[in-house]
Amino acid sequence: MSAAGLPFKNLTRKPGRTWALVLLTAFLSLSLFAGSVVVMSLQSGLRSLEARLGADIIVVPAAAKTKTDFQNILLQGTTGAFYMDAGLLDQIAAAEGVEKAAPQTFLATLKADCCSSRLQVIGIDQQADFTVQPWIAQSSSRELGPLEVAVGSDISAGVGDTLRIYRQSCPVVARLSPTGTGLDTAVYCSMETMKTLLEAAEEMGVSHKVTSDNAEEVISAVYVKVAEGASVDQVATSLMSHPRWKVAVVQTRSMITDVSDGLAGVASAVKVLIGAVWALSFVILLVVFALLTNERKREFAVLRLIGASRRSLRRLILTETGLVCLLGGCLGIAVGAAVIFLFTALIESALGLPYLTPDGGKIALVAVLSLLGTALMGALASARTAWHLSRVDTGSILREGN
Amino acid sequence: MKKRVLPLVILCLSVLIAVGSQTFLSPCVHEDGSFGACHWAGQAMLGLGCLTAVMGLLLLFRPGSRSGLFIAAAAAGVLGTLIPGTLIALCSMSAMRCRAIMQPAMTLLCCLVILAAAAGLILEERKGGRKP
Repeated sequence: MSAAGLPFKNLTRKPGRTWALVLLTAFLSLSLFAGSVVVMSLQSGLRSLEARLGADIIVVPAAAKTKTDFQNILLQGTTGAFYMDAGLLDQIAAAEGVEKAAPQTFLATLKADCCSSRLQVIGIDQQADFTVQPWIAQSSSRELGPLEVAVGSDISAGVGDTLRIYRQSCPVVARLSPTGTGLDTAVYCSMETMKTLLEAAEEMGVSHKVTSDNAEEVISAVYVKVAEGASVDQVATSLMSHPRWKVAVVQTRSMITDVSDGLAGVASAVKVLIGAVWALSFVILLVVFALLTNERKREFAVLRLIGASRRSLRRLILTETGLVCLLGGCLGIAVGAAVIFLFTALIESALGLPYLTPDGGKIALVAVLSLLGTALMGALASARTAWHLSRVDTGSILREGN
Repeated sequence: MKKRVLPLVILCLSVLIAVGSQTFLSPCVHEDGSFGACHWAGQAMLGLGCLTAVMGLLLLFRPGSRSGLFIAAAAAGVLGTLIPGTLIALCSMSAMRCRAIMQPAMTLLCCLVILAAAAGLILEERKGGRKP
């Protein structure tokens, strides 16, 4: 047997001890990898939300009970519909400090053909819209035609499929890139299509009328871009305080701050958890390696006797640790990846925050860093043992055995 | 004893697949009592779980054809990863229970069945190779 094969032989000779160490290091890399990916996904989700909202202020009917209901639609994909007179759009657009104003109309479906849940349909004015349209443009170069829809990435219908919404056949012409927010579970259509769907809904008994004499034109929200130099707070206050409008105003900045606060809480909890796991695992590894020092004294004394140098003994221990860390690290990362990527939807809904998995390159980098971190931890924990064992007093150790 | 570890693992995973598909890993629960396609994916997983459980029992208590049974268990595992979502459609929204819980859990359990069966097959073939 060659000296190079000795670490491997040592590990396979004691499978119980080896597997215990492998599982411990797997736990280390699992916590680091999974924790880091979750935190990174939350950060990407927040960035995506910022990019997707695009507006400074969102005006919704007072009946939408302000932020909470509307925030749930945006962040968690819950369905909801509330309406106000479409005539308000022109008045809001003409208000002081408003640069752009784009309407959206919501419609919650009944059980769609695709599944037992309700879908959120969002109608956009394709000429005026500056929030959803750029996002749709990434997937489709043309405007949405009559009854054509674009679907969020969390809806499994593909381009060419047809969704049945209120007995209307709506061909899917674009599938949007993921945002990690509730917007991924929505279906987008033009205002003309929305009008048809609202009429179909009306026929099926789902009313959207805001007043008995206004069955035609309704909108759910107006996305407002504040003019440069104008104060968002002042514009929001002036819109909300209008005596006849009966609207609520959501400032996207405060919504993002709320999400950011939630994200900071989760990220801190994850970091504390990773720290605790690492501290505990480091102590356990130190204890395990200290116990091994006594257990393997004779083995190393014999190796010294047959001519192994102190340096080669240190290398032997560190190679063994490296192999254990490599195997454990890979195992931990594989388990972490399986759980994190398979259960993405569950994690997303459990956290209730925007959650967008980073791209493959970033994940590969996190995996490599987790593996290196685990190897470094193993090397640090076994360094003392390697030093002690390489300095065993061969004669006295072997005499003790007799 | 060592010979029984992997069959026991396969048996336990199979029971989890069969029981889970009807209980804690079940497809979407509909308020009005109706069900969609994902319900049938759950039923198929129940059948597949029972089938692999029988394979696990045979591996435990019948000494012959172990390699063949491990191969069959691995093939059943592959089938199990394909049933929810590929062979039988699930609900369209990823937040739905069938796609958020049942599909990933069944995929994970079936992958573990495949790994256990592959490990069993390798050990069995090695043992066969050592025989004169």
